[in-house]
Amino acid sequence: MKIAEHLEFSTFNFQSSMETIGTQVRLPFKRALAIAVSGIRIRLGRSLVTVSGVVLGIAFLMSNLTGQIVKTALSEEREQSQRVDMMMSLVNAEVGSLEDRTVAVAAFGRVTATDLAFVGRVNSSGPALFRAHGLDRSGLTAVSLQELGKDADLVFVMGDAASASISLQELTAGMASPLVLDTQADREYTGEVGDGIRREPFFGKQAEDMKEEAEVAARTERFRVTWILVISLLVTVVTVANALLMSVTERFREIGTMKCLGALSKFIRRLFLIESALIGMAGSVCGALVGAALTMVIYGAMYGFGKVLLSIHYGQLLLAAVVAVVCGSILSMAAAVYPARVASRMVPADALRSTV
Amino acid sequence: MAREIIARATDVTRRYRLGAEEVWALNGVSMDIYEGEYLSIMGPSGSGKSTFFNMIGALDVPTSGTIEFMGADLFSLPEDKQAWIRCNQIGYIFQTFNLIMVMSALENVTLPMILRDEPQEQADARGKEILEMVGLGHRVHHLPDQLSGGQRQRVAIARSLANSPRVILADEPTGNLDSKIGQEIIDLLKKLQVEQGVTIITATHDSKMLEISDRIAWIRDGKLERIENREDVEIKSGSMH
Repeated sequence: MKIAEHLEFSTFNFQSSMETIGTQVRLPFKRALAIAVSGIRIRLGRSLVTVSGVVLGIAFLMSNLTGQIVKTALSEEREQSQRVDMMMSLVNAEVGSLEDRTVAVAAFGRVTATDLAFVGRVNSSGPALFRAHGLDRSGLTAVSLQELGKDADLVFVMGDAASASISLQELTAGMASPLVLDTQADREYTGEVGDGIRREPFFGKQAEDMKEEAEVAARTERFRVTWILVISLLVTVVTVANALLMSVTERFREIGTMKCLGALSKFIRRLFLIESALIGMAGSVCGALVGAALTMVIYGAMYGFGKVLLSIHYGQLLLAAVVAVVCGSILSMAAAVYPARVASRMVPADALRSTV
Repeated sequence: MAREIIARATDVTRRYRLGAEEVWALNGVSMDIYEGEYLSIMGPSGSGKSTFFNMIGALDVPTSGTIEFMGADLFSLPEDKQAWIRCNQIGYIFQTFNLIMVMSALENVTLPMILRDEPQEQADARGKEILEMVGLGHRVHHLPDQLSGGQRQRVAIARSLANSPRVILADEPTGNLDSKIGQEIIDLLKKLQVEQGVTIITATHDSKMLEISDRIAWIRDGKLERIENREDVEIKSGSMH
């Protein structure tokens, strides 16, 4: 067909005698967003490659974060059960089996998870009666402080308060051979220490030394962990930046075309930033999920899924995921800033000539 | 009748750096371009004609000298005014088409309308209409690499017409096409000029282009060698036969 014959010029407006030069409109954000989204859609294959770069980087970061959370949780659990074992062996050394005995516990201030685990262990070792004051657990009989010692074989004292609000005499009133096991060696009691009352700390000096050693080890571990996280963050930065750099530079020619059709530099820049933010978010969410899931599967296979799933702190895991997603999105945008700026500043002729 | 000047080049130079070497693609070109004329820029490849052409179209910045467009110094205009000129006043047709390869024919044609914030539906309707006029009504959703060279150039033409430009800059528009479609494009450009008063500026090797041009500018080694009116060329060629 002959183009010239089919063009109905009447539908055009070539004769608009515009004598003053106008100003190009700035496209509203919604419009830019729509264009960026359709840009991702029409380049779906390429976009997915870019996204997978982000997924890879963030999955790496997230798997390191998750690994730390799982490891910490597992070692906390191990440490706790070790301490409970130590406490139980002291109890057994002092009074033998707890079966059919009468025991009591007094809590002053906040109790630790280890203390609670110990109470649970004592309760499950079959005492006839387990009285408690300041601790509301099932299987424990709540009584007043003064009634705690009546006919009891053993009284436990726990909690973080530096002083107890009772004297040892009152606490052990009614006990045949008064014995108090305290989680704190230096807790102060009101009044005098009565005759014939034995008060032993759960953890002697040796145990405290062990704790200190463990703390030193934990500090070294923390440093190592920080180092790994820094490295994994760097790997993430490089992976994400590389993915986005490629996707921008291979489009120089297209940018030139858009500029020659009237696109403003600012608009080009905005387009790429929106695109990279979207890609960054999508990639980070996927990466965080993949990284967390994979790590948990691996640790689950090593230590048992039940143990891993029960011991980890889900709050920490969520926080790590949020950190990874925010990191990924910001990194993606930051990685796109430079190439987008280069692209947007290109003279159209140079961009058109580019053959990247 | 005094003719309006739409674009004026004054002592334009353009220097490229190729490694350590400096290449003067343009070396002091001055020329007036009149509203509504059909101007062909001739010259061997490497003569600087494409460079000159890019400057008239606000696509490249001269090393020195000025380009005036619609009476204003083009390269001292702020970016948004330059973009407005590119979007509303100039339609570009390239030898290599320069279509966006990931966009359909329709998306390519509507792009200039989108960039001046026309509503999507309106742009789509108009884009389809223009594509139909250039005989691609049945290829609206095809990607450029699903189209033949001639069809691609029609998409490019449809795109260049989208915003009813005042000037059409066609850089070797027939260079990659067979002579039949080439002739169609030449006919179209001529018709646009004659019937609609659109200024046509082409860079070309095509002798058929010369026959319909009002003026022919010869550029050689970065300099304007001469400008001929068609009448003169015809007289010359007439005297030869």
